[in-house]
Amino acid sequence: MPPPGGYEAIKYKRNLPVRGVGGAVVFSTVAAICAFGFWRVGKGNVEKRELKREQAWSRINLVPLLLAEQDRDAYRRQQAALAREKEIMKDYPGWEVNGAVIAFERNPSNIWKEAFADISGDPTGRKEYI
Amino acid sequence: MASHRPAVLTDQPYTDPNPLPSSVPHVDELGVTSAPLKSASFFIGQHCKEVNEDFMLCKQENRDPAHCLSEGRKVTRCAADVIGKIKESCLAEFDAHWQCLEKNNQYFQACRKPEKALNQCVFTKLNLTKKIPGSPEGHSQIHEKSSPIFTRVQK
Repeated sequence: MPPPGGYEAIKYKRNLPVRGVGGAVVFSTVAAICAFGFWRVGKGNVEKRELKREQAWSRINLVPLLLAEQDRDAYRRQQAALAREKEIMKDYPGWEVNGAVIAFERNPSNIWKEAFADISGDPTGRKEYI
Repeated sequence: MASHRPAVLTDQPYTDPNPLPSSVPHVDELGVTSAPLKSASFFIGQHCKEVNEDFMLCKQENRDPAHCLSEGRKVTRCAADVIGKIKESCLAEFDAHWQCLEKNNQYFQACRKPEKALNQCVFTKLNLTKKIPGSPEGHSQIHEKSSPIFTRVQK
């Protein structure tokens, strides 16, 4: 038999009290933070580009004077090397200071042709040269 | 003698064994290290624009080091002139800026405060301004930005 007043109601309803901020708020906050971050990254990229430009122009402005100094040194070394060569080779008649490194008496492009001509006995060297 | 090299006598002043030929007029080299050069670079670029361009056009003509010696001397004299003038009129600001560059891996962005003082001084005394060609129109140039994102690595 049921107790007097009947049974108490069955507790079937969910009991989920709302706690904290809502989903929409969380979502939009995250979105806002991300948006701010990307905006800042974008600004940073622009700034990086300008810093590079500044760096490049700083160097461009210095190129002529660095090059001028380098040129003077290169010229000095060149002249010193020529003077040394002249001094070393002074007893060698017919020596050309600052001449070609390899002195070919013949045309170097004909050297194989001449070699074949020697072997084959054909002065034109055509047969083997094909 | 243990070496084939001639002895270096430290008690006597150094003499260059291979000096420039006397046909080339003498010019004092700048003798400035990288940080002061970088600090003064934009002022050198502005003040010496003509001689620099003349020299570079000459170099474009011929890369031989003997070809552009006279133009090169003008370039060096002009740069020495600018650096001398900056040292004369803005020594404290100049020193502060290049020493800051020296301590910060020569990053311009790390030394905006001393740079601002230097730019201000050089503008009032020598009438030279730092201009970066190709900067976007309508925006302040990178060294004049009020709140830059990239400053020093360590605050």
